Amino acid sequence: MEHEKGIDTPATPNKKRKLRNDLILIGGVLVIFVLIGLAIWLFRGEGDLVVVEVNGKTWGTYSLFVDRTVEIRTGEDEQELNLLIIKDGKAYVETATCPDGICAAHKPISRQGESIVCLPHKVVITVKRSDTNAPDIVV
Amino acid sequence: MGGSASHFCNRNMRKKLLIVALAFCLLFSGTALASCKKEKGLQKFSDYSFEFFDTVSTITGYAESREAFDEIASSAFAELQEYHRLYNIYYRYEGMENLRTINDRTDGEHRTVTVDRRIIDLLLYAKELYALTDGNMNIAMGSVLSIWHQYRTEGIDDPENAELPPMERLLAASEHTDIANLVIDEEASTVTLTDPKMTLDVGAIAKGYAVEMVAQSLEKRGISGYCLNVGGNVRTIGKKPDGSGWTVGLEDPLGGDNYIAYLTLTGQSLVTSGSYQRYYLVNGERYHHIIDPETLMPAEGFVAVSILTPHSGQGDGLSTALFCMPLEDGLALVESIPDTEAQWVLPDGTIQTSGGWATYITN
Repeated sequence: MEHEKGIDTPATPNKKRKLRNDLILIGGVLVIFVLIGLAIWLFRGEGDLVVVEVNGKTWGTYSLFVDRTVEIRTGEDEQELNLLIIKDGKAYVETATCPDGICAAHKPISRQGESIVCLPHKVVITVKRSDTNAPDIVV
Repeated sequence: MGGSASHFCNRNMRKKLLIVALAFCLLFSGTALASCKKEKGLQKFSDYSFEFFDTVSTITGYAESREAFDEIASSAFAELQEYHRLYNIYYRYEGMENLRTINDRTDGEHRTVTVDRRIIDLLLYAKELYALTDGNMNIAMGSVLSIWHQYRTEGIDDPENAELPPMERLLAASEHTDIANLVIDEEASTVTLTDPKMTLDVGAIAKGYAVEMVAQSLEKRGISGYCLNVGGNVRTIGKKPDGSGWTVGLEDPLGGDNYIAYLTLTGQSLVTSGSYQRYYLVNGERYHHIIDPETLMPAEGFVAVSILTPHSGQGDGLSTALFCMPLEDGLALVESIPDTEAQWVLPDGTIQTSGGWATYITN
């Protein structure tokens, strides 16, 4: 402690260095805050997803809020098709080569846990969102 | 080095460092709490399969690790597979008598087959439900339902030439749907169809009954905090680990944006029969798969009927039966069964519910 007190007497080069270190510290803290904020923001953006699974395996993952068309090709020689459209925060199957067409008749999905299933092609399209009010099960 | 070390020990600096360190502690504990508050050692896992009952089977549950969950999920699916095979009316399996082999036994006037106890149990349960629903859930309707199945399958494969089954054929088949001709010998574990033209179709009950049996097996092992969903046939096993119930959102069968009900289940089952689940088009008209035993045509009163009840087999059978019954009769039936509630969705979007349905509703 005595040692500390001795050093406490200000000296000009020390003052400058002190100021510089303070600035570095403040700057560093600001940068970390910004990075954390950015990470949270990015994480939130990725919380709203359309996940496509084929036969139990993840086939593709897309943002619910980036409009796009996805050709889900399955089966031997990728002959089977489910045309997934993601538009205005909703996902739906526009057309499909499956015989029953139940997936294409399904209404657009947008809420956490909602899914469209194509049994013949073993395709499951699920909306995954970070919504704490969402039900555990959607039927 | 001496200079910087001395700086480090500066009192002002120490204060600042302390403040910054505190700020970091707060920040990190805050974010850590926000992201991990639900885990508490148990995590939520989920797995699904396409292999059973011609639909998607999902199991969701809380476990300490993926391995622990997988062990439970795979044992549940393995058991579900056994029921799927035993109760199958379309496929045979090597070395196994199942409902298909019972239906196929056309040699001689009487067909007696020795079967697994689990088939006997299902058929006995189906007979009980037949009596309870005044014949609106009849597994002896195989002869009629197989005609519809054939026309629907062909219509889906070749939509241009899709046709309705001729009424004469349906009427002729309906002569062979008397469930009294299904004779069960519990002691000998045998099934006899005493009408040679009668066949069994357990589509209205087998899935729900199988789900119930698998759920009961898990319960016997002391497992809780799990949920089975086999093609919309939901059975919860206990509550969630935090003591709350499972919330279920019921989609609007007419395509509306909002859930038509938001329910909380704590160990019960919820089963929905809907005209939108399986159907085919004939000249642009939809013909669904729930056949009214009276008219021998797809039942027209409702778009969806949901049953909330402890036993998933009862839920499955009742949802089909109520789909074919007038609202008043169905309502009277539901009100007479303890711990059982129902919701009907009419074609114009009107929703009717039984007296206690609202007690399961969460806002």
